[in-house]
Order: sequence, then C-alpha cells, then structure tokens
Amino acid sequence: MDDLLLEAVKLGEKLGVEFVELRCEESLRTSITTKDGGVEVVREGFEKGVNVRVLARGAWGVVSTSKTDRQSVFRAVEDAYRLALALSQKVKEKVKLAEVKQVKDKVTLKPKKDPRNIPIEQKIGDILGVDKTVFSLNPQTKSCTIDYLDVFQKEFYVNSEGANVEQNKIYVWFRVYATATEADVFASAGEEFGSTSGYDVFDENPPEKVGVEIARRLGEQLKAKTPKGGVFPAVLGSNVVGVFVHEAFGHLAEADLTLSGSVVLDKLGKKIASDVVTIFDDGTVEGAFGSFMYDDEGVKTQKTLLVKDGFIVGLMHNRETAKKFNSQPTGNARAENFRYTPIIRMRNTYLEPRDHRFEELLEPIKFGYYLKTFRGGQANLDGTFHVGVQEAYEIVKGEVGEPVRNMSISGNTLETLMKVEAVGKDFRLWPGRCGKGQLAFVCDGGPSIRVGEVRVGGRG
Amino acid sequence: MGEEVNLMEICEKAVKLASGFGVDEVEVYFSRSMAVRVEVERNQIVKADRFCDEGFGVRVIYNRSIGFSYTNHTNLKSLEETVSRAVKVAKAGKPDKDRKGFPAPSKLPEVKNTYDKRVAETSLEDAVEITSRMLNSALNFDKRVLAFEGLTVAGESLKILVNSNGVSYTDKGTGIGCLLSTLAKDKGETTPTCFEFEHERTYKINPEKVGVEAAKQAILSLNAKTLETGFYEVIFSPHALESLLYYTLVNALKADNVQRGKSKLKGRLGEKIASENLTIVDDGLLDGGLNTWRFDDEGTVSKKTVLVEKGILKGFLYDKYTADKDFVESTGNAQRTTIPPYSSTPHIEPTNFTILPGKNTLEKMFEETVKGIYVLHLQGAHSSNPESGEFSVVATPAWMVEKGGLAYPLKGVMLTGVIYDVLENVVEVADNPRKVGFLVAPPVKVAKVRVVGK
Repeated sequence: MDDLLLEAVKLGEKLGVEFVELRCEESLRTSITTKDGGVEVVREGFEKGVNVRVLARGAWGVVSTSKTDRQSVFRAVEDAYRLALALSQKVKEKVKLAEVKQVKDKVTLKPKKDPRNIPIEQKIGDILGVDKTVFSLNPQTKSCTIDYLDVFQKEFYVNSEGANVEQNKIYVWFRVYATATEADVFASAGEEFGSTSGYDVFDENPPEKVGVEIARRLGEQLKAKTPKGGVFPAVLGSNVVGVFVHEAFGHLAEADLTLSGSVVLDKLGKKIASDVVTIFDDGTVEGAFGSFMYDDEGVKTQKTLLVKDGFIVGLMHNRETAKKFNSQPTGNARAENFRYTPIIRMRNTYLEPRDHRFEELLEPIKFGYYLKTFRGGQANLDGTFHVGVQEAYEIVKGEVGEPVRNMSISGNTLETLMKVEAVGKDFRLWPGRCGKGQLAFVCDGGPSIRVGEVRVGGRG
Repeated sequence: MGEEVNLMEICEKAVKLASGFGVDEVEVYFSRSMAVRVEVERNQIVKADRFCDEGFGVRVIYNRSIGFSYTNHTNLKSLEETVSRAVKVAKAGKPDKDRKGFPAPSKLPEVKNTYDKRVAETSLEDAVEITSRMLNSALNFDKRVLAFEGLTVAGESLKILVNSNGVSYTDKGTGIGCLLSTLAKDKGETTPTCFEFEHERTYKINPEKVGVEAAKQAILSLNAKTLETGFYEVIFSPHALESLLYYTLVNALKADNVQRGKSKLKGRLGEKIASENLTIVDDGLLDGGLNTWRFDDEGTVSKKTVLVEKGILKGFLYDKYTADKDFVESTGNAQRTTIPPYSSTPHIEPTNFTILPGKNTLEKMFEETVKGIYVLHLQGAHSSNPESGEFSVVATPAWMVEKGGLAYPLKGVMLTGVIYDVLENVVEVADNPRKVGFLVAPPVKVAKVRVVGK
C-alpha cells in the first residue's frame, strides 16, 4: 500500500500541486445491540478506502473512494487536482499551511486485551451482565438498551512534504441506556464507556458495577422532584464539568470556530475565567478514548494548554488555522474515516483539579443544586450553552438533599467561567462521542466545582 | 439500467449462496451515493469534493437470531466473505421468539418527483455557481454579516434490496441542497448562529433566497434583550419543531418504544392526545418528499400512515419486527440512517412526518398575537426526556412578537414543559408547510408555554 501511495504523491507533484496528501485506511468493526435481555443484532463489517486531498492555487480539492487499486488511486489524485483548479478562480484568500516537522513512523498496537481475540459469545455475555444487574436491582426498570462497538483500524498517511506514518488503532466502546417508570414518573439513566487500550474497558468497568450504578440512578430519579426555574448557585460534578468544558468552552477554542466568530476571538491572551480555571486538551493520556499518536495531517499529538489560571493562552489548531494565527499546529486535525477530510476536533479535554474537598464545595451554599450526571449538552458560537442533566440533587444548607429530575442549565459560557468559585480534587475523565458534521471519539472531564450562579430551567 | 440489472443479479446470487449455509432467511441490500459538494468557510469558497460510496449489507436469520455484515468492496468474492461473516455472527447471537422474518413481496407503489436527471448531472461548475450566488446574496445584504460556513451538495443514490422471500426491488433518487450559516457582529456584540437552507429532490432551489434569508436572520438578531419569566404564546418555526418533536413525540410514536414501555402514548390509541387543530401523517409517498422511496430499507412498500387525526391518536410507526409483535402490518418505517446506509441495520424512523397545514398565513398569525415569541431555532432539544416528553431548551434566535410583527430579538430564553401540554395547546397551524429533514410542517402557534428568562 505504502509504495502505491508514494507513487500517487509523485503523480500529484508532477501535475503541479502545492500539496497533496493521501490517507488510506482499512477497518474491521464489530457491533452488538441488546435490548431488555435479548440480542437484537450482531454486526461485523469490513471497509477500506482512500482520501486524497490536494491544494492547488490556494484551493482544496478532495476525492474519496473505496477503490484502492492503482488506477483508481491515481485517478483520484487527478480528479482532486482538477477540483482544486476549478475552484481556485473563486478563492479570494488562498489557503496556506503552517510548517510542521514531517514524520516517518509506524505505530503498532500494544493492547492489554485485543478485542479480536475475545469470542462474540463472551462480548454478548459481558453486555448482558449489565442488563441483568439493572433489571434485577430495580424492579421498576422498563427497558435497557446496550450498544457495543469495537474497531480495529490500520491507517496510512503520506504527503508531498515527506510524511509517512502508519498507525494501528483499537477502539472499544459501549453505552448503556435504561428507563424505569413508577406511577406517572419516567426516569432514564445512561452512560458511555470507551478505551483505546483494548477490551480491558470491562476490567475497569465490570458489568455488575456498571449495572449497579445505572440501577441506582434510576431509583434516585423515580423519587425525584422537578426543579424550580431560576438562577441558583450550584456544584457541578466531574461528569457535568466535563460536558461543560467540552461543549460550552472547548468548541469555542477550536481555531476554525474561533475564526468563524466565536466569542473568544477578541479575548486571546485575556482573562476569560476565574483564577482557579485551567483547561487542557490532551491527546497523550494513555488508553483514554480521545488519545492517539498522530493526527490525520500527520502531526504528533500533544498536551495543549488552553486556559491557564483564567487566561486563554491557546487554541486547538490544524495546519491551516495555525498559519492564520501565526501559531503551531497542535495535532487536533481528525477525520472520522476516509470519507471525510480532517477538521479540528477535541481529544481529552479537561479542567485541571485543585485542592478543595467535595464538602468544602457544598459548604457555603444555603440553597442550590448539585448537578451530578449530564444527559446532553450544546453550545452556540455566541457563547450560549445548554446542558441537560439526568441526575441532580438539591443542596440545602451546605449538604446534598433530595434528588431532582429532568433539569437543565443554561447561560453564557464566559460569564459562567468567571463565576467558578472553587475547584475540587476528585478528578475523572468520561469517554464520549462528539459530533461536528463528523463523529470523533473523545473524553472530557475534570473535578467537581462550585459555580456562583447558573440558570436552571424547571417547572416548579 | 444495464448496471442495475447486473448489481441485482449479484445480490440474488448472494442470497442463494447464503441459503446454502443453512440459514432461515437472507437479505442483501446495496446502496450507492454519489455527490459533488462545494464548501464555504468564512465568506469564501474553499473546498470542493466528490465521492462515490457503495457497498453491500447482508442480514441473515439463523434460528431466530439476526447476523449482519457489510463491505464496501463490491465484487462477488468480498460479498461471499460478507455473507459468511453474517452467518457466523448470527450463530453467535441468541434466538428471539418474536422474530418472524423479512417482508414478503408486494406491489411497489409509484412515487413522483424523486429523481431528476439534471440534479444527478450537476457539475462542479454548477455547484460552484449555486454557492457563489448564495454567498454573494448574503454578503451584499449587510456588511456586518459573516457567512461562516455553508455548502452546496448535489447527487444521486441507488438502493437495491433482495431477500429470500422473493423481494427484489430497486429505486433511485436525487437530492440537491444549499445551506448557509451566518452570524452578525456589531459594536462588540456577536449574534447567535443563524442558518437557512433549501433541500429538494428536483432542481428547484433558490440560492439567492437562502443567502438573503440567512443574512437577514443574523441582522435581525442584533441588539437582543432579555425577558421576564412567565407564560407566553410561542410560534415555533418548522426548524424549531423539527428538533423539538424528534426528541419527544417522534420517539413516543415509534412502536419499539411503545412496546418496551418507553412511551407515554402506550395504550392510548383512539384517545385525544393533542389539540383538534393537529393532524399528523407519516407520508412515505409524498410527492418530492425528502424521504420518499418506493420501499423502506428492509423491503416493505412505502405507504401513508395517519398518526394523529384532529388530536386523536390513530397509529404508530412500525418496522416488520415490531409489526409482527403487534400482529399488524409494517408501516414501512425501517430505515438505515447511518452514513453510508449499507453499513448498518435498519431501525424505525419517520419518512415525511407531515403536519397538515391550516388556513392562516404566518403574517396573520403574527397580527393575532398579543404577547408572544417567535422561535426560529432551538438548542439542546436532544437533551429532552424522550420517555416523559419533558423538555427544557434554549430558544435562539428568537424574537418578541408585538403589534403584528417581530418587535425585537431575545436572548437567554429557555422554554420548558412537556410535549403533550404543547400538543394540547396548539391554537393554530399556519398555511405554509416546508420540508425540514424528516418534518414537513408550517409554523405552529402554541398558547401558554413556560419561558424562563431573567
């Protein structure tokens, strides 16, 4: 494969491109869906393809194809070149790429447990172990859906500047979503698990332990009351901090979105958060769901400091935005698969822990909310965010009180970051999948924090 | 046509091959999508791409257990390997006593305006031209507008479905669309992101209109004000309805959710669940509908299903499996919504989820609104509770409606409630439906929605 790709690069150079890169990948994907103790379907798929990206006269031309024979790959290079030329007449500001050290490397797999060696029957058994625990511990459980996926992927990256990287990757992921009803109350609880180190994700999260946790959350919600609407002080748990850091702040600091007018554009180097806020996007956390060695432009991953003691000091870049900001690429260019061109994506994004104990976070709050687990989050470039919460509690006189269900918080990201009063020391990363036109495997997280005020949507 | 016949023969061969492995039933699905796409980033056209994505997805039933496998290598040898993988994983699964089998053949319905040769033949130059017209219309509208992203896509898809019960169907369709996302910046204020688009099956899009509308929305969002918490009349745009309904009502109408106790509509057929102003049909045969095909993604012929008639719950959305469980006919709602379609198994989704229009224009609706809010887009609808229908979402952009028109833009506005209260409180449906994703609907006015503001 390697030789063919290098020949294709030569062809591009002969045509007169400024830059050409080829990404070739093949993957084997196994997925299982179970519902309420039964196996809905087991899937196993194989795919292979190549993506050619050409920069010519300042415009991008891209062709992707599943045909990886010599003739098809060469034609893809020619077609991509033609697309770029046709477009170049319209381009006002030509695309330029930041310089980067070009790498030749081969990344081999060192899985703790290779999912390809685990029989499907065992995978089904592990998943159904979660299901069984949820149903047996919580008799009000109505449904439990579990999706499991493992991916084994081989990727080649070459470009006309001399990069030549082969990477082998493994992803193992599963998600549990359960519902329960009692009288007229509907409760739901869900969580995702993921790893790049292999099938050991089930060692770290044993099926029974996962089941116990889901059943517990369902039980809490069935007894819960609806929240009061309004503005309140709050303690956000590690899981909610994660989604806040990712959705509300992280996207604003993806340099493509920053350039597109996100509210941090005018704030670079300035104070945007309280002194206790330090945020990283880190591709180097071993085995974490958002970790990898090289991004899809062949740039080595790194631990990128975004916010230091309240000051925004960095953005996440690809080669194109790094050039625009006169900065360095940070290894954040990722493509979901060969069908897509790489765009700026997060990796493992987290708030750095500090020294408060959880009790100290609660202590000064007379009445507020403790938001423990999220349901979903979304943000807008203008800095408006929204986080739906699946598990929350009242805080009364500095202590965790009764459970509250179906609440959500919203507000302005930067105002909220300024209101972070104290940061805890209970750190955790939470695996997930982020959508930005393409899917990316990521983690987000942090410790628990206290926030002076957030807007709570409720019906009370 | 010659190639389609050839592909169908390959599918039929694979079905025969799998039958030789001792499985009970086999289905071979082929899909191909081809498109040209031009993208806008920050006020300029920067990228063009072209793709062709084709592959086979094979489902087999062995002892009432389903195995699936796919490949994007479209030769007979890869397909044979795919068949044996599907058989292997089916044998690893567990039998499901409710699993009856794949659909039997039936007469395929005719559909209109789902294929346009002109769309299929859209060149890169055409796509660049459409994109330029859209972009320039937006940028010429007002200097404060930033068109931060946009695209034009045109292409065609082919679907083939063959199963061991004798189903052997093929259909092709086209689609063309353009979209522009904008925001406006003025005196240190950034508006929320706005967007407008048109998406059609035939060559009838108006890029200038998309550009101007996208720009106008952003400019009209400048100088937003907060508002007092309370109950307001709310007029939902089709875009807002699309996100709100998908995560609440649509989920509650899916038969698998009903059967699994995940829907508040369970056991309520024939009862009033909404205002009598509301009639909803899932119309798989809609003329020019974005999701109109002659058959669904497991080989049930497409049809029109009444879901809510003048507020009365009339039906649910079924695939073959859930229909067999309830001893009814599938409504043809099995879809493969992944990209690409051949890479996954079908599940229940609406086709063209249609809210029948009313008599009044949107303008007239504004005139009759004393103190209301017009909501163009919602944020966070995916965090709604699909089981209870409870939602709590941010309305952005949104405007105050006073004296018959949009008075001023709003910020920091959350809408909270339960979808069934919203449905009950629909006071009027406008007369101008449009296609937005799975939804075909006009703006809808709802009395008394709880709004959390300052």
